[in-house]
Amino acid sequence: MLLELKNIFKWVTVGGTRTFILKDVNLKVNEGDFISVMGPSGSGKSSLLNVIGMLDDFDEGEYHFLHESVHKMKEKQRSALYKQYIGFVFQAYHLIDELTVYENIETPLIYQDIKSSERKAMVADMLDRFQIVGKKDLFPTQLSGGQQQLVGIARALIGKPRLILADEPTGNLNSKQGEEIMELFKQLNKEGVTIIQVTHSEKNAEYGSRIIHLLDGRVEKDGL
Amino acid sequence: MIRNYIKVALRNLRRNKMYAALNVAGLGIGIACGLLIFMIIKYETSFDNFHRNSKQIYRIGTSFKGESGMWYSAGVCFPAAEALRMDFPQLEKVAGIFKRGQTIVSTGDAADAQRKKFNETNVYFAEPSFFEMFNFNWLAGKPQTALAEPGSIAITREIAEKYFGNWKFAMGQTLTFNNKDIYKINGVIEDVPVNTDFPLELVASYASLKNTGVSGNLNDWVSTYGSASVFVRLPESMTPEKFSKDLVSFSKRHKPAEYLNILVAQPLADIHFNSDFGNFNNRTFSKSLITAITLIGIFLIVIACVNFINLSTAQAVNRSKEVGVRKVMGSSRKQLAFQFISETAIITVFAALLAVILAINSLPLINILLEIKLSIASIPLSLLLTFLVGLIILVTLFSGVYPALIVSRFNPITALKNTMNAKAVGGLSLRRTLVILQFAIAHLLIIATLVVVGQTDYFHTASMGFTKAAILNVPVPDDSISRTKLQFLRNEFLKNPDIQGVAFSYNSPADNDTWNSDFRFDHATKSTNFSATLKWAEPDFFKVYNMEFVAARPYAASDTVAGYVVNETLLKKLGIRDPNLAIGKEINLWGERKANITGVVKDFNSTSLREPIGPVLMGAWKDLYQLASVHISPGKTKEAMDFIENTWNKTFPDYVYRYEFLDKKIDGFYRQENQLSSLYKLFAGIAIFISCLGLYGLVSFMAVQRVKEVGIRKVLGASVGNIIYLFCRELTILILVAFAIAAPVAWYFMHNWLQDFSYRIPLSASIFLVSIAGSLAIAWITVGYRSIKAAIINPVKSLRTE
Ligand SMILES: Nc1ncnc2c1ncn2[C@@H]1O[C@H](COP(=O)(O)OP(=O)(O)OP(=O)(O)O)[C@@H](O)[C@H]1O
Ligand SMILES: [Mg+2]
Repeated sequence: MLLELKNIFKWVTVGGTRTFILKDVNLKVNEGDFISVMGPSGSGKSSLLNVIGMLDDFDEGEYHFLHESVHKMKEKQRSALYKQYIGFVFQAYHLIDELTVYENIETPLIYQDIKSSERKAMVADMLDRFQIVGKKDLFPTQLSGGQQQLVGIARALIGKPRLILADEPTGNLNSKQGEEIMELFKQLNKEGVTIIQVTHSEKNAEYGSRIIHLLDGRVEKDGL
Repeated sequence: MIRNYIKVALRNLRRNKMYAALNVAGLGIGIACGLLIFMIIKYETSFDNFHRNSKQIYRIGTSFKGESGMWYSAGVCFPAAEALRMDFPQLEKVAGIFKRGQTIVSTGDAADAQRKKFNETNVYFAEPSFFEMFNFNWLAGKPQTALAEPGSIAITREIAEKYFGNWKFAMGQTLTFNNKDIYKINGVIEDVPVNTDFPLELVASYASLKNTGVSGNLNDWVSTYGSASVFVRLPESMTPEKFSKDLVSFSKRHKPAEYLNILVAQPLADIHFNSDFGNFNNRTFSKSLITAITLIGIFLIVIACVNFINLSTAQAVNRSKEVGVRKVMGSSRKQLAFQFISETAIITVFAALLAVILAINSLPLINILLEIKLSIASIPLSLLLTFLVGLIILVTLFSGVYPALIVSRFNPITALKNTMNAKAVGGLSLRRTLVILQFAIAHLLIIATLVVVGQTDYFHTASMGFTKAAILNVPVPDDSISRTKLQFLRNEFLKNPDIQGVAFSYNSPADNDTWNSDFRFDHATKSTNFSATLKWAEPDFFKVYNMEFVAARPYAASDTVAGYVVNETLLKKLGIRDPNLAIGKEINLWGERKANITGVVKDFNSTSLREPIGPVLMGAWKDLYQLASVHISPGKTKEAMDFIENTWNKTFPDYVYRYEFLDKKIDGFYRQENQLSSLYKLFAGIAIFISCLGLYGLVSFMAVQRVKEVGIRKVLGASVGNIIYLFCRELTILILVAFAIAAPVAWYFMHNWLQDFSYRIPLSASIFLVSIAGSLAIAWITVGYRSIKAAIINPVKSLRTE
C-alpha cells in the first residue's frame, strides 16, 4: 500500500461556525493505482489532493504514507517526504515564467541536491522523451497550453516520483490536447507510477482504474 | 543553485524594469551619499595623523579669562619656546613656528633684471626641530643646517617650480621679502599633503625673526601672538595632565602677574576640529559637524533601504506564484529566503556600482562646497573597498531579510491560487511604519535645512549697522614711506567720479582681527572693568560706511588721537543713559592717548553676528592704517575696480595689489555655517528625492494591485477625483504622523543650534508649515501622477482581464 487516509476531517471556522471541507474521508491507495476524483465544484477535490500531497494540513484523522505517519510529522519532514515521492501537475501549469523550459524541468532536482552533471543527463532524457528538445530554451509564455502542460508533467516526473497528483490537468486544454495528456498518464501508469487526478470530464475519468466521487467533503462513491 | 538564483534575479530585474530602476536608483543614491560622507569623514579625520608619534605631540596655546568665559589662542608669547626647552629638559622635542601674514616675495635681489614678484600667504619661520617632529620630506638640504642661520629659507617644490621652473634650480638662489629682507634658499621641501593643517610653502629659519617686524617682541612675555605656535612632543612617561599642571606654574613663573594668561597644551589630534584655537589652515571641521553628517549618511541609507523593503515586499505579491511552485517542487523555506536575499544582494551590488560612479562624479562638487581637496586617492583603496563591501552586506541584510522572510512564509496553496494581495503578504503595518520613518527623517532634514538656510541668509542680509555693499577693501603697505603716500592715493582715487568715498583705517567695521583694551573714563583712577574693541580710522570712515550717530559727530581729521567716538553699548557699560551726557568726557588709553568723546555712534556689529555687540572705541591713528575702504557707485564696479588697481599699482610699484569686497569678507565669517547649509540643501534634497522614488514605486504597485477595484468603483460611478482621494488619503495620514514625530525633535535640535548665534532667526511656525506643506505637495504630486494614470484607465479594459 502506498498511502492510507483514516477519518480525515478538515474544516474552517468562520464567525464561530465550523464549515467542513473534508468530512471523514477514508481512502486506501495502492501502488500502481490510477484514480480519478470527481465531484461538483466546491466538493473538496482540490482540498483532498492538497492533503494527500502534504501541501495542506488537516484537522483530524490519520495519514500514512509508505508506513510513515504524516500527521505526526513536522513541516520539514513532510516536505522532505513529498519532495522525494510526489510530483504535482496543475490545471494552470504553474511553470515559473522567469525560467526556460529546461530550467523549469530542472528545478525539482536542484532542491533534491542532485549534482549538476547528473541533472543535465536527467533533464536531457526527459526532454527527449516528451519530444521537446527543440523548445528547451523557450520561456513558458512562448508555448501553447498543451506544450506548457507537457513541460509541467515532465517537471513532475523528473524526480522519479512514485505518485503523481494532477488537479484538473486538462482543464485549460482543448479536447485533443487533453486526450494526449491522458494517453501520457495511461502510459506512465503502465510503467508503475501511481496517479491521482481530479477531473470534471467523464471521458477523462474513464482513463482511471478507479473513480472517487466527492460531495460536500464526503466520499460519496469509491470504485468504478 | 546560486547560478540558478542569479539567473532568475537578473531575468526578474529585466522584466520589471521600473521596479529595478527605482530600487537601484534609490539604493544607489543612498549608498553614494554614504560613501561620500565616509570619504569626507575619513579625509577630515586623517589630518596630521601621519606624523611619527603624533599622539604625543601637543600645541602650546594660551587661555584668557574673558567676560563671557574662557577664550583661547593657538599662539604664545615669543620667549615661551626657548623657556619651555630650558624648563622641561625631559620634553622629547620643542619647536617654535611663526606664520606671518601676506608677504611680497621677489626672486633675486634688487639688481636682478628678471626679478619676479609674488604675493604669498603661507610664509613661516620655523626651528629645525619642527621638521624632526613633523614628517615632511625634504628633496634637497637638511632642516638642521638649512634652517640654522638667520637669512636662510626652505621652499616647497611647487613654489620652487613657480619661481624657477624646476625645483633643482632653486638651491642657493635668493629671495627678498617685502623688498627688504634677503633670504638664501638652503632647502627644498616636498609639497605637503592635502590632509595637513600646516600648509607650508616658504619656511624661513626661526633665527631670521630678529630681522623682522616682531624682533622687538622676541623677549616679550606679555603679548600673545596668535600665529606664534610652539609644538612639543611629550615623552611617553609624561601624562598630558601632569604637563598641563606644570604649564600653570611655568606661566606663573615667567609671565608678569598683571598679564597672567595660562599656557595650555592642545593635542595635535584636536587641532583640526577645535575652532576655539583654529589652525594655520584657517579651517576647522568641528566634531559636531562630523556627527551631523554621519547622522545624515545613516539617515539616507536607511531611507534608501526602507524604499527597498517597501518595494520588494509589495512586489513579492507578483512573485507569489513562483514561490508557490518552488515550494511544491520541494524548496525549503531557508532555500527560498536565501534566494530572495541573494536577489537583494545582486540589486545592492548594482546599486553600489552606480554609487561609486555617482560618488566619483560628485567629488568636485563636494570639494567646492566644503573647500577641501578630497580625491579617491586620499583614502586607501583597501579601506574604501572594505567599507563598500561592508555596506553592501549591511544594506543587503537590512533590506533583504524582511522581504525574504515574508515571501518564504507564503502558504504554497494560497500562493498558487494567486489570491495573494498586499494585505495577505502581511506587513502592511510594517510598511506603514517604514513610510512614517522615512518621512520623519525627511521632515527632520527639511526643517534643519530651512533653519540653517534661513540663518545663513540672515547672516547675509541682516543689517549690521553699516553699509557693506559696494565697498572694496584694499590693503595698503604699512611701511613709513608708503604712509606718506596715503593722501596722494586718496586724491587719485577721488578723481574718478565712480568712486564716492575713500577712508583709511586699521581694519574694517566688522573684522575677525580685533584689538581690545580697557581704559580710564572721565579721569577715573582705575581702568574700566571691561575692555572695548579699538578701531582706528579716519573720520571719513563713518561716511563711507554710512554709520549713524545718536549724539554729536565724528572726531576731527588728524594724524593721532584728537577725539574719541564710542558706541551705545560702551555707554551702557559705563552706566550712562543719555548719550549727550557723554560728549566731552575724557577717555584715557594706557595713560598716553587721552582725548574727549566727540560723538556716540549707533551700535553696529564689529564681529560676526554670532557674537553680541560689544563696547567699541574709535579714534584717529594714522600710523596704524593698513586698509583703504573705497565706496564704488553701483553699476560701475568693473571700471572702478580696474581704475583702483591701476592707481594703486602706480602709487606702490614695489608691492602687490590685493582687494576684497567687504560683503564677501563678512560672508567668510560664516564659512562653516555656509558649508553646513549647502550640505543640508544637497542631502535633504536627496532624501526627499529617494523618498519620492519609493512612494512612486509603492503607489504604482498599489495601482496595479487595485486595477480591478478601481475598475469596479468607476463602473459604480466613482470620479477620477474619488480615485485619487483613495490613493492619497492614507499617504496623507502617514505623512502627518511622520511630521508629528519629527517636528518636536527638529525643534529641539535646531533650537539648540541657533543658541550659538547672538543674532538669529526665530524658530517660527512658518518653517514647520513650509516643511509639512512642502512634503505633502511633493508626495501628492508623486502619488497624484501615478493615481491619475490608474484612475483614467477604461474600466471595461481592466475588468476584462479577469
Ligand atoms: N482556506 C479556505 N478557507 C475557507 N474555505 C475554503 C478554504 N479552502 C477551501 N475552502 C472551501 O472548501 C470547499 C472545497 O474547496 P475545493 O477547492 O477543494 O473545491 P473543489 O472541489 O476543488 O472545487 P473546484 O471544482 O471548483 O475546483 C469550497 O467550498 C471552498 O470554498
Ligand atoms: Mg479544485
